[in-house]
Amino acid sequence: MPNAVALKVLVVDDQDSVRKMTCLTLEQMGIRHIHEAENGVKAMEIASLQPLDLIISDYYMDQMDGLDLLRAVRGHPVVRRVPFILLTGRGDRELVVKAAQAGVNNYLVKPFTGAILKQKIEQVMGKLA
Amino acid sequence: MASLEQLKLTFFDECAEGMQQIEQGLSDIRDGLGAEDTINAVFRAVHSAKGGAGIFGFEGLVEFAHVFETTLDAIRRGDLAASTDVIDVLLMASDILSDLVQFSRAGEEIPEGFGAECRQMLERLIGKDGVGAEEEEAAPADFEDLDFVPVMFDAMGGDDDMKTYEVSVRPLPDMLKNGCDPLLLIRQLRQLGELDLKADGERLPDLASMQPDVAYVAWTGTLRSTSTKVQIEEIFEFASDCEFSVSEVGGFPPIEMPVPVVAEAVAPPLQPLDNSPNLTEEVMQPIAFEREAPPPPPRPAAPAAAIESAEPKAQARAAKPQATTTRIELEKIDRVVNMVGELVIAQAMLGQIVHDLPEGVSDRLSQILDEVVHHTRELKDGLMSMRAQAVGTVFQRMPRLVREVAMKVGKKVRLELSGETTEVDRSIIERLSDPLTHIIRNSVDHGIEAPAARLAAGKNEEGTIRLSAGHRGSRIVIEVSDDGAGINTERVLNKAREKGLVAADAVLTEDEINNLIMMPGFSTAETISDISGRGVGMDVVRTNIQEIGGRLSLNSVRGKGMTIQFSLPLTLAVMDGMVIKVGRETYVMPMSAIVECLRPPRSYINNLVGTRGMLQLRGELVPLVYLGDLLDISSSSEVSGESVVIITDAGEGTRLGLVADELCGHQQVVVKSIEESYGPVPGVAAATILGNGSVALILDVEKLSDLAGDPVPGTVTALRGGVAAKVA
Repeated sequence: MPNAVALKVLVVDDQDSVRKMTCLTLEQMGIRHIHEAENGVKAMEIASLQPLDLIISDYYMDQMDGLDLLRAVRGHPVVRRVPFILLTGRGDRELVVKAAQAGVNNYLVKPFTGAILKQKIEQVMGKLA
Repeated sequence: MASLEQLKLTFFDECAEGMQQIEQGLSDIRDGLGAEDTINAVFRAVHSAKGGAGIFGFEGLVEFAHVFETTLDAIRRGDLAASTDVIDVLLMASDILSDLVQFSRAGEEIPEGFGAECRQMLERLIGKDGVGAEEEEAAPADFEDLDFVPVMFDAMGGDDDMKTYEVSVRPLPDMLKNGCDPLLLIRQLRQLGELDLKADGERLPDLASMQPDVAYVAWTGTLRSTSTKVQIEEIFEFASDCEFSVSEVGGFPPIEMPVPVVAEAVAPPLQPLDNSPNLTEEVMQPIAFEREAPPPPPRPAAPAAAIESAEPKAQARAAKPQATTTRIELEKIDRVVNMVGELVIAQAMLGQIVHDLPEGVSDRLSQILDEVVHHTRELKDGLMSMRAQAVGTVFQRMPRLVREVAMKVGKKVRLELSGETTEVDRSIIERLSDPLTHIIRNSVDHGIEAPAARLAAGKNEEGTIRLSAGHRGSRIVIEVSDDGAGINTERVLNKAREKGLVAADAVLTEDEINNLIMMPGFSTAETISDISGRGVGMDVVRTNIQEIGGRLSLNSVRGKGMTIQFSLPLTLAVMDGMVIKVGRETYVMPMSAIVECLRPPRSYINNLVGTRGMLQLRGELVPLVYLGDLLDISSSSEVSGESVVIITDAGEGTRLGLVADELCGHQQVVVKSIEESYGPVPGVAAATILGNGSVALILDVEKLSDLAGDPVPGTVTALRGGVAAKVA
């Protein structure tokens, strides 16, 4: 059972407000180690510098979108095993299929509530303590 | 961590930026300038607005943005052609979206049915009626029908106990000197499992500069072992002068990176061993150096080595640099601006003291003071650039205005913007919007002719309005020009006569007639349309512009169009001023108003009947105004050999020679408004504090020239004493 306090999460979104909102929701879950990146390129930079337990990334970003980031993560020697949750829009069915093929752990449709985010994380990480 | 309210504000700021992107993008596409990326950028901006609105719970915004987004998506996929009609609907949608953001920001209820018409138009474009949209709204937030099983983290583990690690051993240069041997560490590592290392001789210097006790070689490779990462790391626990990294390589089949890995990733051929000194060679020997025939990668996991961990970083560096910005409250900047103002005053006082010191004592001091002056100026400029904002923020509102007014009056008008990035102080930006809106509205409503009339006149059916901005010296010049009908001079003249603004028998040049529209009282209740009447409020526009130190000029050619140009100072807080003396009083004149200063010989002054005197300047006659008379100060009211004539540009191309007694010098002055305490005083723009601590009034040259015709002595005199008491 992973401990929320010890979990290191990277949140990737190019929209400041939404990214910070996601972080705020994670904090309310008791997660304390949160890194932020505003696009896939920055995310890879951060991911290669420190250990991570989970990446939560939006899809639409102007430099390296969420799917490209997922593929980069899965092809990277150091971070390839880090669980990955992709944020998608209401109508992005095809994206979920593509992401599944690329090795995504879970997806989350925006907008989401704290409860759903937690549920999606627990589906991947196990029940949070 | 920011609060929810702060995040909402951030969201609205993002929306404002997004709206500009949307509008700009759509306009570009409409003009055929849009690249493939443009529609994607517009889509992303709408998508972001929708996403954020969803998270922050602005339902109305989400719903509209969703339909908008779907339409854009259809264009993006090529299902819908981006014809002019379609883009027009999209532009309307962007206006509605912008309004919805405003409602949400203000916390207002969205009026019932707001934007419904536009929404239907969008839905028609994507071939969807209202019912279909309802269905979509009801769609679950999860793709229940999709066969997606979340992948547990545990399920991602390797299949056996044997794990593959990527290891890198990089001795620091001093390692050997400290008595440590990297070789021992490597031997220990080898005991844990199958070790496959490659030497990296990149740091090896020339033979001549090589030192035997410096560790140059590093190693990277893979280790297959049943040990845990911690157990491996233990080996290096006490080797403080050796960089060591170990990371587990997953048992996953490698997935291709989106960025192709180029040949560079392959290690360059090593230098011949002959170059290596004995010691290094000895150290290297036990490790399979294999410079002749490198072995094939041991197992599929090894290709990971080809993708060096530095890769994403290199990629990040190669990526186009992103503008990094930070949001600062305006209030904080204003505090610093005030501080710099005080600094300028203190510095001027210091300058005065230094000036009064006996020579020899002051030399070194004044040298340093010069430096301080220089730095203060740079500090001020830097600060002002922080307060500065691109005029684009005001310009961006105009396309919508043009569209709306043009639609209302049934005209075809295109707006061309240029120089949107020109920066000017925020305080000026804020007061630019109204006059500009007014001028542009006038242009569309009355400048540009109806399509039929344009065709009849041999013009393009679509009228053009150009809005441009640019820097000219220490001022910003904004120009609005249209290719419409220009000013109807006869009508203007008749109206002016009717209103008694011009004598019935006065003969006026075309320019003079054109400028009549800016006279106070020219425009009254006789409104020509509900949007604007040519000339309605033009005097208000002029007053607004003048209030912020601007000058307005107008040029109209009948049948060809008209141009309105106004120039504004870049900043209102600190300005370059010329300190002058009139009698015993000190005044400051804005440098930007001064064309030249001279001390003309008596013979150059012509005393024409009905004037106070004319200065003959290079064949031109410039009317003289005696500041002493105007400001009611006892001063010589004749140009003597001592007095100075300051030639100023009084706006609208007229020049005026102001007669003062002495020029004291040029200096930066801090503008202190006196309007709050005294109300507007004709002829006086503001006050400032001089180096000796005394207060001086800053003259408003344009108003002075108006006053020259009708002086009100006493006003300024009364002020002089009062301000000195209050400002100080």
